[in-house]
Amino acid sequence: MHLGPCPNGTKIRYIVILTTLLLVGFVRISLGAAIVGDTRSVEIVQVAPQPLDAMKAEYQRPAEIPFPKSNPYTLGKFLLGQKLFFDRRLSSRSVQSCASCHDPGLAWGDGLPVSVGNGIAKPSRRSPSILNAAWGAAYMWDGRAASLEQQTLEPIESFSEMNMPIDRLLERLNSVPEYVLFFNAAFPGEGLSRNSLAEALATYERTIVSGWAPFDAWIAGNERAITEAAKRGFVVFNTKGGCASCHEGWNFTNDGFQDIGLPGSDTGRGLLIPQVQKMDHAFKTPGLREISSRGPFMHDGSMRTLEDVIEHYNVGGVDRPSRSDLIVPLGLTEQDKLDLVAFLKCLSTEPTPTTIPAFPY
Amino acid sequence: MRIIVAVVALGVCGPTALALTADYTVHQKGRTFSSDITTVRKGQIIVFLNDDTVPHNIFSTSTGNEFNLGSQRPGLSTDVTFSTAGEVEIVCAIHPRMRITIVVRE
Repeated sequence: MHLGPCPNGTKIRYIVILTTLLLVGFVRISLGAAIVGDTRSVEIVQVAPQPLDAMKAEYQRPAEIPFPKSNPYTLGKFLLGQKLFFDRRLSSRSVQSCASCHDPGLAWGDGLPVSVGNGIAKPSRRSPSILNAAWGAAYMWDGRAASLEQQTLEPIESFSEMNMPIDRLLERLNSVPEYVLFFNAAFPGEGLSRNSLAEALATYERTIVSGWAPFDAWIAGNERAITEAAKRGFVVFNTKGGCASCHEGWNFTNDGFQDIGLPGSDTGRGLLIPQVQKMDHAFKTPGLREISSRGPFMHDGSMRTLEDVIEHYNVGGVDRPSRSDLIVPLGLTEQDKLDLVAFLKCLSTEPTPTTIPAFPY
Repeated sequence: MRIIVAVVALGVCGPTALALTADYTVHQKGRTFSSDITTVRKGQIIVFLNDDTVPHNIFSTSTGNEFNLGSQRPGLSTDVTFSTAGEVEIVCAIHPRMRITIVVRE
């Protein structure tokens, strides 16, 4: 580019800078992406440390189970979903039901580091508890299912889980007269279909809600419901430990996705959202209800005890670009760790019987 | 000299034109956007302010308006300008409940 006579070098530099800026701008526009401009530090009002009562107020249990408008609760769907959930005929070899990996006696998980699927295949991740799934925002460890209805069918079809193509399953269920009757009653005008199968299972799963724990009694005002160690642990959980940044609210999760610095090659949500670096090795934050019965812990079942988990967070795990900015060495004392374990244990309830339905034939 | 004037004029008029349309700030406090849907004009600056207590990572894959702010720590504010008219679906990769639709008008 010929610029003609130049009075001095400064003007040239301005011209070059301005031209570059404009060209860069136009190039980015022509590529069709949004233009990301300046990032600035802004003074924001920091919330002062909350008093204990304010912290406790964040943990009130909800009054009712949320059901989506697209799949409202009916007793017929619930009863049908319950039968399906426990019925081993949903797997290709009729040896596994949903309850095989989501066992009510094991806090609706399976107690194994990695679950055992079709033909003793081992999926790469552990079986998550389905407690309080009604409140979920995205399902599966990597969040690939946007709804519970979508989620319910995937393990049935997965080769390494139940290995049952839905079309084959519909044929099998259609050959069971009572199932046909139940589907017709629960889904008038639709009957047995891929959609009704998913909706019935999702309806039942939404009713699986964690029970009233000592922690809830304490939140409700019973000071003697939990120990002093657990009360101190609650404060550590919400302050120095930073646990509540992700394990927040009555269900102890905000359903977010974080790389918490676990070693391993599983890239988790990074496969779904490769353009976001923080999703590499990121997995869903699980709730903590009934946590004492939910070991081993983490998406890969790599930690045997709650003490192991707390020590992992205290150290901070693998330092890599994708690791959550929230994962930093915590400097917990031995007393802090003991108190945290005491607190976590008060999120569990006494075991209660679960109704196993009679199966249609 | 005419080129210098033209380039400088472009450089000056560009920001001036943008400044004529008021910036719109989207807050991210409490793991939620300050609105579910909003309408802006093409070229208007949208300010994404993380006034929450945790990092967020908002991004969009809407055709013509793709962007990714990366990890945005509390207290950071970033300008974004959308260059294509249409609906822009924006989510936080970390917190899937955080969703906002920005309608970009010509």
